[in-house]
Amino acid sequence: MNAPNRYELYVLEDGEKPVEITEDTKIPNAATIKIVKQDHTLGNMLRAQLLSMPQILFAGYKVPHPLHPYFLIKIQTDGTITPQAILHQACTKLIGTMSSLETKFNREFSFKDVEGTGVGVGGMPTEDPYGGTGGAGGAWSGAGRDYLDF
Amino acid sequence: MQSHDDLEPTVRIRELKKDRVNFVLGNVDLAFANSLRRVMMADIPTVAIDMVEIEINTTVLPDEFIAHRLGMVPLMSSNCDEAIRNTRDCTCLAGCSFCSILLVLNVGCHDDTTMEVTSAHLDVIPYPEEGLETQDSGEELSKRGEYFGHPVGKNEPGVAPILICKIRKGQELKVKCVAKKGIAKEHAKWSPCSAVSFEYDPYNKLRHTKYWFETDERGEWPTSDNGKEEEPPRDDEPFDFNAKPNKFYFEVETDGSLGPQEVVMKDFSNFITTAGSSRTTDKIGQPHPRTQNTTRG
Repeated sequence: MNAPNRYELYVLEDGEKPVEITEDTKIPNAATIKIVKQDHTLGNMLRAQLLSMPQILFAGYKVPHPLHPYFLIKIQTDGTITPQAILHQACTKLIGTMSSLETKFNREFSFKDVEGTGVGVGGMPTEDPYGGTGGAGGAWSGAGRDYLDF
Repeated sequence: MQSHDDLEPTVRIRELKKDRVNFVLGNVDLAFANSLRRVMMADIPTVAIDMVEIEINTTVLPDEFIAHRLGMVPLMSSNCDEAIRNTRDCTCLAGCSFCSILLVLNVGCHDDTTMEVTSAHLDVIPYPEEGLETQDSGEELSKRGEYFGHPVGKNEPGVAPILICKIRKGQELKVKCVAKKGIAKEHAKWSPCSAVSFEYDPYNKLRHTKYWFETDERGEWPTSDNGKEEEPPRDDEPFDFNAKPNKFYFEVETDGSLGPQEVVMKDFSNFITTAGSSRTTDKIGQPHPRTQNTTRG
């Protein structure tokens, strides 16, 4: 009854900011960034990308609660760049990787273009999941009578 | 830091069938490959039956049971991004031809044999006139393929329909269904994939797992076919604890609502929007005012 809409897991509410940055007060060049309506898909990928960059001293992420659709990513840099800027760079790099992979997939698919794409599935077995070949079952015993005639 | 960091990612499609694609991804890191898998499974929109209005149900199955089974029927969803809107973004009150598809099922058994109610009995019907089309300038309808929203396999010979229920003489099932767009994060029925297999390191050189065995590890855990793609380790090979996986074997099997090519390509566009949305905003996103104060204080 008071269940939230299921789509609130992945759709930003009106005026909700997708990213919120909290600078760390005790650690230099560090920040915790809250990314809303995203999960491990982005969190882990972003963390891995950050770790591969030389300016990073620390990068880690957590999803504090599985029912709360946001994650926190903690970044510490060596001071040559702010955490915000490096996160921005990491996103750009990821997008670059993805677009290059996209073109490669496109090319591969065009080589392999077989038996039409898009709609439909073929090569499915004609037999139904219950082992038969579809169609009706056998007649009931005492055919001719209605099923309510006992 | 990572040996394959500067290398371009590679991809090789080993097999492409109508409902599946098998490919090898190289020079990316584990997290990236895993995200790709997650996006294909849970972030790609399709259409599925979401609301079921039961008019007559004299079958042996309860209403909820049938509604659930109807929801699981895959519907043709090609070009879902452009061909249909999310109901929550639509201007209509409860559903219109731009954001939903109507399907009806009306069968009764009048024979002495058991009758099977299947997905082939589901018929797409046009939205009952609504005067809305004139004021709404949506172009969604023109982007739809001929069979958009139809149950998968209904218009193809040789594809067995999906059994919903069996009825006997005198029983009847009459329902009206509304199909909507959604993603599998909301409900698994919206997933375009029926299975995604994902493997790396077939010889377990990286020791990311430990195989439990009775007497003989190799004999009890045969390597998969992907083992042919990599060199088997020598027995005296020392463990390289810095090694990183960089070859990932995927097999994506769709339920027919989207073709495998569409699933993979959508994957990237989706991926890019997710990463992009966080990037664009954190560019302008200044530190939160409240936290700025804390920093000073």
